[in-house]
Amino acid sequence: MRLPRFLWVPFELGRPFGAPNEPDFQRRVLRSALELFEGHSGPVVLADFPDDAPLRTEDESEQVGWACPVVFDSVPESRSKFVDETLAEMSRLAPWHEVYVEARGAPAPGASGLLFARVVELLGEFAEGELNPEVESEKATQEWLRLGCDDLRTWYMEAAQGQPGRASSGDLRDWFWRKTALARLIGAAAETLLDHPEPILRMLAARALVPREYFSVLLAGKGSMPSEN
Amino acid sequence: MVRLADISEVERAHLLAKECAPFPGQPWVEGLPLSDRRVALVTSAGLHRVGEQAFSLVDLSYRVIPSDLEASDLTMTHSSVHFDRVGFREDVNLVFPIDRLRELENEGVIGSVADRHYSLMGAGWLPQQIEPTMRELARLLKEDDVDAVCLVPV
Repeated sequence: MRLPRFLWVPFELGRPFGAPNEPDFQRRVLRSALELFEGHSGPVVLADFPDDAPLRTEDESEQVGWACPVVFDSVPESRSKFVDETLAEMSRLAPWHEVYVEARGAPAPGASGLLFARVVELLGEFAEGELNPEVESEKATQEWLRLGCDDLRTWYMEAAQGQPGRASSGDLRDWFWRKTALARLIGAAAETLLDHPEPILRMLAARALVPREYFSVLLAGKGSMPSEN
Repeated sequence: MVRLADISEVERAHLLAKECAPFPGQPWVEGLPLSDRRVALVTSAGLHRVGEQAFSLVDLSYRVIPSDLEASDLTMTHSSVHFDRVGFREDVNLVFPIDRLRELENEGVIGSVADRHYSLMGAGWLPQQIEPTMRELARLLKEDDVDAVCLVPV
């Protein structure tokens, strides 16, 4: 697209107005964008927003204090144990999620329409090589699967933030994809789906289940980024 | 959106290798002072009302978000491995700054807030594929007398 007026912001993906619950900062960003309607001449205006997103107040004092909120067991030897590992991990995280909810309010319901434990079970079926598990959803496989994985990952991130101290987004992301049993389970499911006869599911596995930079960690034998076709 | 230096090397290389389709024309239009403009938001965050049909992975449809809809009535069915929904759940204004827009209206910075805003599913399509949808949105925005649109990618 060739937009006539464009404000570039330096914030993380998924956060175009910088940070949640920062109304003054968000208003500055919005106002900076809308003011491009005035005082400029075309054909194109590209402006940079000058400031990084604010850290939460507690971030500055507690950033160092965050630690991985779960003590992990060793990596299971077989994929059949991935589901049990993940469910046990969720039980250990649940108290921290309750802390998060108490502090920030009840989270919205998941978007997949499936219970979290059911999504975990279905990921386990994919991980063990099942290409078409039976699922009680009217949604297409790629839809309940991506939404279910997002629901679970969001729940994990909320639980991690229930722990005292604050982690950077990068720390949380690295914790999730490198340290959790759920990430291993998603990686194992993605590995099966990369060879699925349905192109949309191969595309999902290649692009939308595991970040490219963690393929070498989570997809055994597929350490480099696979083809997206 | 995000500095290239702040994303992984793999992702950086992927983004830099993308071919951007050419877009003919120079759509610059002068208009009213900002303080006289009626402003709408169009987001690609895949937002819609709770209970409304979710966006699908590759989706050219849109959803209408009435200006008076409560934030708690919105959900997000865009998905990405590059961000999570925690920030959106804490504050919808992070991706859809409707409260900030109302504040700018109250301050007289903008003329008024549109009655309706719109949401699409980001990623998954090329500009020429989404063009019919955007022309439909342009018609709806004109019907609402909108003369400024803030496009918010996610």
